[in-house]
Amino acid sequence: MGLPFLDSFSATAGRGVWHADELGLADAQVVATGHAALDAELPGGGWPVGAMTELLQAAPEAHVWQLLLPALAQAVQARGGPVVLIGPPYEPCGASLAARGLPVESLMCVKSEAAAARLWACEQALRCADVAAVVAWLPQARVGELRRLQLAAAQHELLLFVCRPESVALSASPARLRISASRCGADASQIELHILKRRGPPLAAPVMLPARNERMAALLAAARLRRKLRLQQQGTVAAGDAASSARSATVVRIDAWKGGQDALDRLAVVA
Amino acid sequence: MHWIALQWSLEAATPTTPAGPDAHRAADAAALPTPEALGWWALQYTPHVAWQDEALMLEVSACERLWGGRTQLMRQLLAYNPVPDARMLGAQGATSLIALARLRLFAREERRPTEIPAGLPLDTLTAAHGHLDLLARLGCRTWGDVAALPRGGLTRRFGAELRVALDAAWGLRPESHAWLTLPDVFEQKLELPALAETGPELMWSGNRLLSALQIWLRARQRGARALELQWTLDLKRFNGVNLPPHQQVTVRTAEPTQDMAHLRRLLSEKLAVTTLAAPVSWLKLRTLETDPWAGASTSFLPEDNRKGDKLHEMVERLSVRLGAQQVVVPSAQADHRPERKQAWRPALQKEKSLDNASKAPEKARKESQAAASQPDALYPPWLLPEPLLLEMDGERPCYRGPLSRLIGPQRVETGWWGGKEEGGQPAMRDYYVAQSPEAGLVWIFRERHSARFSAGEVRWYLQGFYA
Repeated sequence: MGLPFLDSFSATAGRGVWHADELGLADAQVVATGHAALDAELPGGGWPVGAMTELLQAAPEAHVWQLLLPALAQAVQARGGPVVLIGPPYEPCGASLAARGLPVESLMCVKSEAAAARLWACEQALRCADVAAVVAWLPQARVGELRRLQLAAAQHELLLFVCRPESVALSASPARLRISASRCGADASQIELHILKRRGPPLAAPVMLPARNERMAALLAAARLRRKLRLQQQGTVAAGDAASSARSATVVRIDAWKGGQDALDRLAVVA
Repeated sequence: MHWIALQWSLEAATPTTPAGPDAHRAADAAALPTPEALGWWALQYTPHVAWQDEALMLEVSACERLWGGRTQLMRQLLAYNPVPDARMLGAQGATSLIALARLRLFAREERRPTEIPAGLPLDTLTAAHGHLDLLARLGCRTWGDVAALPRGGLTRRFGAELRVALDAAWGLRPESHAWLTLPDVFEQKLELPALAETGPELMWSGNRLLSALQIWLRARQRGARALELQWTLDLKRFNGVNLPPHQQVTVRTAEPTQDMAHLRRLLSEKLAVTTLAAPVSWLKLRTLETDPWAGASTSFLPEDNRKGDKLHEMVERLSVRLGAQQVVVPSAQADHRPERKQAWRPALQKEKSLDNASKAPEKARKESQAAASQPDALYPPWLLPEPLLLEMDGERPCYRGPLSRLIGPQRVETGWWGGKEEGGQPAMRDYYVAQSPEAGLVWIFRERHSARFSAGEVRWYLQGFYA
């Protein structure tokens, strides 16, 4: 006779065991990031709810909205409360965020320079039942303080994003997910995401995400095409080159936007 | 007539220490809510409530059926103790003096005599306290012994008071009491146990007043929205400066509340930043605004009952510590200048147009449908609060490296009415999206020449980051 106790134990526990060479399952709720390439690499397929997500960047303002906005918009829609921004480096532009799904009314900013006040405000926001998500800029936070925030987020099941400088990438952190974001050196329209820590194997190649929203990208492409055509008319660009760029830019249909007759829609024509 | 006598004693006071029972009683009285407040609490059971010596007396003969009998009523009283950390003692009797005497026996943990009231020991009768020695020498140990003495002689020797008390105890005379009533406005004064010199020292006595306020709010079925804590300064002049007699702080909350934890936090935050002009001797708390209390409705579904504070509580707590200007929410404005497209107002302030609130959900839905096709998506997500004047490298503006213009111009001409704050000039700008070698995409604008009456150099400003 074997050991029935151990057998049954291993049978029931087997489901809960995470093998470190495969991507972990989320043990709590997740919110989809809105970027399919990133979802595929995150445990559970999205930002973890009730855990701290650390975002490391060289500049505090860079890429934050491009990365987080879809998830924040979803969280606001689901929970209805505001997104609390603690110590944002600049003013968020309500009109721009509203156009991308995050209503102006669901923003709340806590402006404070003192590190201790920011941490305190962050904890208070996490303790509030009506808040949808918390985004905090904590450049000077220590591990113990982050641990406390992580516990508060876990207790109250909130989305918590902490933005910190790139220089802390090598130090320890209680965050369940750490992502370092930087502009791709080769292609300025892409963001390079290095996942420093996750429940899963280390990532070989960085995840690439578009650095701009679709409209902006379309507008930039149109402007580039315009410039090339103009140069071609001046005879400085070879004809074949211009033709290829014209073919590659067939996706650009500025007129297709039915939203409204705003001056911005006609920008490319002027450029 | 049926009376219940109630008394509260803290657990710490039960073991006897060298300090003596009087010190304990003083300590007890200091830690409990004010006596009036305890009386207000008892008013929910019967309209006849009075303080007699150290005990709260409730006359319940008219209302005991409402509560399901005497036993049930006693059980209720003990179950809903308004001071959970103090022990509540209760005793009953046919008259108030009997109930009080039995309470005193109960507090001393003595056995009740078989015969009531004749068998009660004399020292449980307040009126006999002055004559205990003499009565003992006369051989009187119980109420019955004194009552058996001849009326005329007793009155002449000990005064009418003792005989009147005995008659009242036997129910031969009507009792008269000063019944407690519930005031319309909460206003209570309290003397501090010691002079306070800093704001946080007031909090201990403030807590007593707040627990009294909670009892008052529950009895009145109201929620507090604004409170004023006032303190009396002990000095008229200090350091050669004439002082006002009082100072005060006001605490406001958005929703009427009976939850003292929230008000206590707000009050202690306010007191932490208050400096007292002189030592303080008295404290007064009064309500400025109260609203009818609707109670909190909870849901049966577990996912609706999220634990945590309410939003307004968080906003108030953050605002009171960090300052109201530090906790801000945006509201959209009708203006084409990006820095005025949204106004930031303190989150504490209510939105002025309340009637818009009902239309808001529909509006929000419409907006979200239109959102995908809105040209606003081209605005940068980060704005500078004030446009930043850029340095020039010849003809090119520079921000962390020379900028190359990618998209533009977008022309904005507005503010022709030229208010004072704009310097009386219209805003005439050409906006460009430009690429900075280090900062990525930025949003810049050029002030147009025609806007500036002096023919100086072209000025470029930075307005936002795409990042």
